[in-house]
Amino acid sequence: MTHYAMVIDLATCVGCNACMAACSLENQTPVWADHWRTKVHDREVGDGHGITRRFIPRLCNHCDNPPCMTVCPSGATYKTKEGVVLVEVERCLGCGACAMACPYDARYPATSDDIDKGKEYYGKLQRKSPSMDKCSFCYHRLLKEGEPACVQTCVGYARMFGDLDQPNDPVTQMVRSGKARPLMAHLGTRPNVYYIPER
Amino acid sequence: MDILTFTTQQHWTTWFAVYLFLGGMGAAVVAVSFLTHMYLREEKELVMWGALSGVAMMVVGSGMLFLHLLNKWAIFYIVSPYGVFHKPDSWIAWGSQFIVWIQIAAVLYALPYMVEKPRLLGWPVIGNILKMPIVLQVAGVAKKIHPLLGWVGIVTGIGTAVYTGLLLQSFPAVTLWHNPAVPILFTVSAFSTAMAWLLIVMYTFIYHRVDHTIRALYERIDLGLITAELIIIFSFFNFTLSGSEGGYRSAEMLWGSNGWLFGFVLFGLIVPLAMEMKCVFGSWSGKVPIVTASLLVLNGGFQLRAYFMAAGIYAYPW
Repeated sequence: MTHYAMVIDLATCVGCNACMAACSLENQTPVWADHWRTKVHDREVGDGHGITRRFIPRLCNHCDNPPCMTVCPSGATYKTKEGVVLVEVERCLGCGACAMACPYDARYPATSDDIDKGKEYYGKLQRKSPSMDKCSFCYHRLLKEGEPACVQTCVGYARMFGDLDQPNDPVTQMVRSGKARPLMAHLGTRPNVYYIPER
Repeated sequence: MDILTFTTQQHWTTWFAVYLFLGGMGAAVVAVSFLTHMYLREEKELVMWGALSGVAMMVVGSGMLFLHLLNKWAIFYIVSPYGVFHKPDSWIAWGSQFIVWIQIAAVLYALPYMVEKPRLLGWPVIGNILKMPIVLQVAGVAKKIHPLLGWVGIVTGIGTAVYTGLLLQSFPAVTLWHNPAVPILFTVSAFSTAMAWLLIVMYTFIYHRVDHTIRALYERIDLGLITAELIIIFSFFNFTLSGSEGGYRSAEMLWGSNGWLFGFVLFGLIVPLAMEMKCVFGSWSGKVPIVTASLLVLNGGFQLRAYFMAAGIYAYPW
């Protein structure tokens, strides 16, 4: 079996936002509404001479126990056998319950207005109807044995993608060693995006 | 990693509080009026008012949700009975079924009385519809299966009221919502507001057509419900004061707000409780005090949901 996961090294992320750009072009996200499938949060931490900038990329954590999937009334949110949480656009009502349930702020609405603007912005648009949207780990690329666009474009190799069912995969080893840890594991969501803290 | 950001959400705002308020109250109004009719006294006027006003509330409440859907055509996936079999773990799927079936049961339960009511038959459009042979036939069938329709209304009514709380409880990131007391609080509040609404109806529109013992019973039940709501609210206060930063910030938001303190706790619970006690056990008589108290309870029911939606704090590590 395959169990996809991502590791993000916060010490290596330089906050260039190339992942956001690559993702938005790959997945045609409504960036004009500040809606991104992945977003790099940037904030200053500390005071006086000890101020540092801290970058935290966030995206859908493709949880093994995803609350967004549980609350979805139509079954539009589902999980593939490889553990990727996807949205069946035509089936999605766009009620927003998934956005309320997600502890990682990974969901956003893609509205009818966004479709109109997207046609001007991206030219030929993949999306045909409005729905709630989220990161898909670039599932269409995974099917062709590729990587998510954000991983491929990351200049500092801060994002790594792998298969947790492969013991020799570097991602698996970082997760198993405890070096990479999930966000808010206490919520019981069993996320599949892991973070290596800044040293 | 440490939590750095505490924020509220912008997806479900005041309009959603309207949905929770009208959905819960409308469903409880149907359940209470049916229970009264089936097991206490055959009050035809009360049943008609309960069924029709309850349906009207749910139509408006569900309409608020429907208008905010991004893809309205996909509603068919959840209003069809298949929806709940496809997604039995989703409370919205269950709630949608409850709301559909309670409205059908409510209209059918009231129909045999509606077709006999001269005043309704005299209304321009509704009167003509009620005189149609097919409607009369349906009313005849509904009369034969009245107990079944009544129980469908009661079960789905209670189910809808509970669902409004279970829905919020499904969101694990928010301490204020993700705890077992929320469905209990929302159910108690739904039935309290339902009692208040039916008291207003009985003291104004159908004062001479309903037995006084029903009014007296409702006043006593509402006293108990408001007391229970106060206990749950103060246990919530205690719960959010420690345990998680998100919960504590919710407590700060709520108890630091004059709207919550005065609009809900004081004038939505304590004042109507005192007024109803004075009416039930004291010397107050007449319509004005109890109708005023009931209006305050209705306002409190909405304030509760609006503030609960606004005070749900998400905690993010960025």
